[in-house]
Amino acid sequence: MTKANEALTISRRRFVQMAAGLSFAIGLGGVSAVRAATSAGSSLDVNHWLTIRPDGTISIVFPSTEMGQSSYSTLPQILAEELDANWDDVVIEQLNADDRRFGNPLFGNVLYTAGSTGVQAYFDPMRRAGAQARDVLLQIAARELGVSKEELRTEPSAVVAPDGTRLGYGELAARGADGASVPEVDAVTLKDRSQFRIIGHDVPRRDVVAKSTGKAVFAIDVEVPNMAYATVLRAPVEGERPLTINDTEARAVPGVLDVVALPDGVSVVAESLWSALGARSMLEVTWSEDAPARAFNSEETLRLYAEAAEDPEAEQAVWAEKGNAPAAIAAANQTYSQLYLSDYAYHAQIEPMAAVASVDPDGQGAEVWAGTQTQSWTTRTVMEVLGIEQDKVRLNMMTMGGSFGRRTAFAQDYVRDAVLSSKAVGRPVKVIWTREDDVKNGTFRPAAAQRLEAGLTADGKLDGWHHKVATPTVIGFFNPVRWDAVKPNDVISMRGAESKFYGIKDFRADHIITPRQARLAPYRGIGAAYTSFAAEAFMDELAEQAGRDPLDFRMDLVADNPRGRHLLEKVAEMSNWSNQDGRALGLSFAGYSSSMAAGVAEIEVDQSTGDIAVKHFWAAVDAGLIVSPDNAHNQIEGGIIFGISMALREKIDIENGEVVQNNYWDYEIARANQIPPIEIYMAEVDAPPVGVGEVGTPMVSAAIANAFHRATGRRLRHMPFTPDRVLDTISA
Amino acid sequence: MTKFILNGRPVEYTNPPEEMLLLILRDTANLKGTKYGCGAAMCGACTVHVDGEAMFSCQMSLGDVEGAEVTTIEGLSEDGSHPVQKAWIEEQVPQCGYCQSGQIMRAAALLAENPQPSREEIVDTMSANLCRCGTYNRIFKAVERAAKEA
Repeated sequence: MTKANEALTISRRRFVQMAAGLSFAIGLGGVSAVRAATSAGSSLDVNHWLTIRPDGTISIVFPSTEMGQSSYSTLPQILAEELDANWDDVVIEQLNADDRRFGNPLFGNVLYTAGSTGVQAYFDPMRRAGAQARDVLLQIAARELGVSKEELRTEPSAVVAPDGTRLGYGELAARGADGASVPEVDAVTLKDRSQFRIIGHDVPRRDVVAKSTGKAVFAIDVEVPNMAYATVLRAPVEGERPLTINDTEARAVPGVLDVVALPDGVSVVAESLWSALGARSMLEVTWSEDAPARAFNSEETLRLYAEAAEDPEAEQAVWAEKGNAPAAIAAANQTYSQLYLSDYAYHAQIEPMAAVASVDPDGQGAEVWAGTQTQSWTTRTVMEVLGIEQDKVRLNMMTMGGSFGRRTAFAQDYVRDAVLSSKAVGRPVKVIWTREDDVKNGTFRPAAAQRLEAGLTADGKLDGWHHKVATPTVIGFFNPVRWDAVKPNDVISMRGAESKFYGIKDFRADHIITPRQARLAPYRGIGAAYTSFAAEAFMDELAEQAGRDPLDFRMDLVADNPRGRHLLEKVAEMSNWSNQDGRALGLSFAGYSSSMAAGVAEIEVDQSTGDIAVKHFWAAVDAGLIVSPDNAHNQIEGGIIFGISMALREKIDIENGEVVQNNYWDYEIARANQIPPIEIYMAEVDAPPVGVGEVGTPMVSAAIANAFHRATGRRLRHMPFTPDRVLDTISA
Repeated sequence: MTKFILNGRPVEYTNPPEEMLLLILRDTANLKGTKYGCGAAMCGACTVHVDGEAMFSCQMSLGDVEGAEVTTIEGLSEDGSHPVQKAWIEEQVPQCGYCQSGQIMRAAALLAENPQPSREEIVDTMSANLCRCGTYNRIFKAVERAAKEA
């Protein structure tokens, strides 16, 4: 075990060993009597989620992976709440295996950290797991004290009797669970919200001290004995392979251990990263140069997609439908239509891809250290590459330096490269991608062309809405097995186009599945990152067509959504919408999954340079119950900043199959001096939690585009709103 | 052989003098708190102090720091007790945390030189470092807190 792991996690294997000696465990949702003769001094394992040790330490399994969203703290807090644990007694154990007992129910129990689902998915099971354990502790205390369970209550990490006798959880665990039974998960008593001491309170994140002292260990930091370093020269174009490799000079570089041909690249393994990088630059490789991707050019791609969006004959997969939108629009008093475009975008997480693999000498097993959004697909990648069984994969899930969808793929090439390199040299190998490697071999938010058409009544109300999205399937590329199960419904490509927070009587959204002409992946906000741009920019144009205020026009559509109406009212109040006083404000109402957000941007446009400055942003958000308010605020604010960044600058170009951009100098993400004051209101509602990681992002680009109209009288319909596009729009 | 002072202690390394300082710090000195993000002076994840000044360690070679004093996040304080680190923890700044060593080193150098910076000076200085999670407003607040509480 590395220092890395000791610092941040205790492996599942060690967890099991520590729990040895006790004796009872139940299956998910199952019940059993607590079997097991327990002996003094052993730990208590009521279910697979937690262990209570005689010293009072409570280990709670963290089933997701951490990339900045703070699930590492938040999910165990949910269990600790119902256990009535003292949070300071809790140690968090990273799940380091594809153990489907802990699977994400919103992803068919695959271990998958994505889609802002963590709290939403695990809220109920982890509460119930905590409540089960609390019930067993009460039973043990009742037995020990010779009273009935009903007479007892709990305080943080202790059972308290009517006479004031206190028995700590550790002490109770040590006394053993003889005679106790584990209640059914459906039968446990859960706390009322008014009783929460942890949920809804600002409990500091567990990882903040390590992340403020340089001690947090990311995959790129992992160091294991006898480890070598590798860097990979990758094929310039997707689908190509090395034909000839002249590595004479590279091998002559001091410290170089081996040059390993990979299916789509050449790995240089050396004693140091410096040697590996130097040797890589000396490789002479000829590539197959025959891939269909050689024909990919992003300008042409977007033109094709726009044609598809405009083509009434294009094949359409209905994504969402209510009433009869085409008929309503055809019969409407007035109709209006517009086309919106958006380019490829790159995740730009600051930690580039890195993984360490240590393949066993017989090639029949491996230990891997990686930061990914899925234990399941990382395990599967190692199994496939080595042709081994799951139990031969020893995984260490590391905290990630951002991800935003970057590390979600079914087949993980950086993990594969580490495994193949380690196998070749017979030593542990750390593979690191440079920033340029990550940009050039990125997996992107797809380019999209969207045609919206709507009708208006004579009195200026919306009368039919038809949203067509011409973009490829993202799932079909990054997880083809999943695509076989869900096609033609691609939530990654289409989310947001359902406009579900509005009550639109005659509604339709279609996916025109266009040919894929780049590597693709989920990206913060997934489809809503562009569908909500188009929908909310179009909504503003409709309001203008109807001669109505954009807020007033939207209010018609939230009559049946009081929580949404509240957000619009709130953000109007926060931004002083009714008194704009020469300010250029733009409104947008979007969200992510079931989380809603209304936002107002105030901008200034420099008409000589084409620069847009966002001066202020107000947001009103309803994400159901909020488990960690301070962190939720941080996530939503980060989501808004991500939205500002992608709206203003972020764009990947592809020429002849090669990504044009290289690094942060030509793929610019928002810097500190581009960030406005951001005010966030979070609605307090009595509803289940639905996620905060992405809700901040989708509303932003349309809010900026709509403010731009207020400032200039012109419409921005192609995201990002780069200075050249702004100048073209102003002078058009 | 290159000699310099690393986190207050004299060190000497036989690595090639042209090797990137960032890699010396991370892989030879095994101080992993300093991060690689871009290798191009664009992100600031590699920010360290060289003779008290915030520098991109990806833009310096081992030879460049001959005789210099180099401080990394590990040398800022033993235990996170530097006022900037305390403010970072108090404001709960980090999300993924990957950029934060560099942010903290940048902020600490600013405050060492200008103990009471204006908001504008803070924003200007911190614009050298990228944070993809979008913690900028918390970074500003934390720098202001550190200035007040130092």
